[in-house]
Amino acid sequence: MRTAALLAPLAVLVVPFLLWPALFGLVASFTNYGPLESQVRFVGLDNYAAILADPQFLIASRNIAVFTAAAVMAELGLGFAVAYLLREIFRGHALVRVALLVPWLVSPVANGVLWHFLLTPSIGPLDFARAWIGLPIGPSPLGVSGLALPTAIATDVWRKAPLVAFLVLPGLLAIPRERWETATLEGARLFDRVWLVALPPLVPLLFTIGMLLVGDTLGVFDSLLTLTGGGPGSETITPGLYAYQQAFRTNDWRLGATAGWLVAASVLLVGAIYVRSTRAVRH
Amino acid sequence: MRPRMSARAPLLAALLFVALLPMVWTMLASLGIVPDNTASPPRWRVAPSLGEYTDTIGVAEPRFATELATSIVVALVATGVVIPCAFLGAYGLARWRWRGATLVVPSMLVLGSLPVVAYVIPLAETTRRLGLTDTLVGVGLAQAAGAAPLAVYILHSILGRIVLPAIGPAVVATAVVIFVLQWNSFLVPLVLGAEKVRTIPVAMSDFFTFERELQWPTAAAALVSSLLPLLVLIAAANALLQRFRLAEVDPS
Repeated sequence: MRTAALLAPLAVLVVPFLLWPALFGLVASFTNYGPLESQVRFVGLDNYAAILADPQFLIASRNIAVFTAAAVMAELGLGFAVAYLLREIFRGHALVRVALLVPWLVSPVANGVLWHFLLTPSIGPLDFARAWIGLPIGPSPLGVSGLALPTAIATDVWRKAPLVAFLVLPGLLAIPRERWETATLEGARLFDRVWLVALPPLVPLLFTIGMLLVGDTLGVFDSLLTLTGGGPGSETITPGLYAYQQAFRTNDWRLGATAGWLVAASVLLVGAIYVRSTRAVRH
Repeated sequence: MRPRMSARAPLLAALLFVALLPMVWTMLASLGIVPDNTASPPRWRVAPSLGEYTDTIGVAEPRFATELATSIVVALVATGVVIPCAFLGAYGLARWRWRGATLVVPSMLVLGSLPVVAYVIPLAETTRRLGLTDTLVGVGLAQAAGAAPLAVYILHSILGRIVLPAIGPAVVATAVVIFVLQWNSFLVPLVLGAEKVRTIPVAMSDFFTFERELQWPTAAAALVSSLLPLLVLIAAANALLQRFRLAEVDPS
């Protein structure tokens, strides 16, 4: 079969339902296009000017920068650490390995609902522990200014760090046994074993996982919708949430689509760095 | 060396406890076992019953059973579309003798990382123009398209690594992972679906609003119901998932 014929079904699926909308979003962001607009005309950078003049969007951009940096680093770091603990097979290893997937099975929407209740003082496990040792139960951190964003980040880490461990583990298990033994004989400490034995062969895999995490986090939206709704105030609003609210709540299609396209642009920017890095690794 | 080994078990146990406690807490609540932290010391109120599943979900969300069925159909359709398209595509890319082909595969991962919110607003417009809004076909294809690039990336690495007889299990493991993504997909069914196509995540976001505060045991029963099919799936596919690889790892 010809290569083109093999790629055709994929193209039929991806072009109309992924590539075209993404490109259309880019083109539309320079026009006044909207479902209710009768005459489409070029408006230059008007939409971008409008969005950058909206303090809500600026707060959302700052929030997502903090969210992405903190969540992705914590997920990669913790995920790697857990996988490192699992690098030798023991009884029950397979069970632990598949259990790593469980938090990820909770959908982002369900994750928001779940943690909303788990952090409710009268019924949640954290306040149960506080009450047990005699501390007064506190208000939900999701409603406390300054705590809402870190708490939202923590729930994201809970959901995805074990998944990272699951994805990293095959890479660690592929490292030949002799290499660990040689390192131990040479007196390598934990730091050396991680830095010199474990990490080098895993770099491409960690880049791949990092790319997926960055994309997923830059678009974070559904978990916050049910967890905080963007509050308190605008403390947990993100560009994804902003785009959704503009397009489907305020019915400002232009602002929403432009915000969405800016999310796409940020992912594609990271993606360009990722693609370059895969070439650098190969050569 | 040995003392470090003995630190591993308690550390792992603690991490597993943190990872799984929320699920256990939720399962207990869905069965009517809820703590009362306002008492000192905190108490457990134990009134075990299946009432949340049999009655209360139906009151909070009358069409819960239909939505569960819709979710299953949409996720199956989308996975069923993604895997063959992605497999053929990955095979095509693997045979492609064009210099730029080496860039296409990592680009697929970037495309697969593109969050739905980045393109969902124009997508809603495209789907409306195609007359596919609120249809199983529209929602299924749009969900499939979002996951297809990632599937291509994973399957391409499988084709480069695994010999023929082992390809089947590796593809099925990939299908399980894609199915989970489809089951949990939210934004596509939220924006493209309406009355006819309503999946569980959409229903959950809907009946959980800040105005109409839901009772925790009812929410817990809904959470468990939405999770149970996936738990059964990964338990059944356990052996396959042990061999799942996101990408090729070359230890040399």
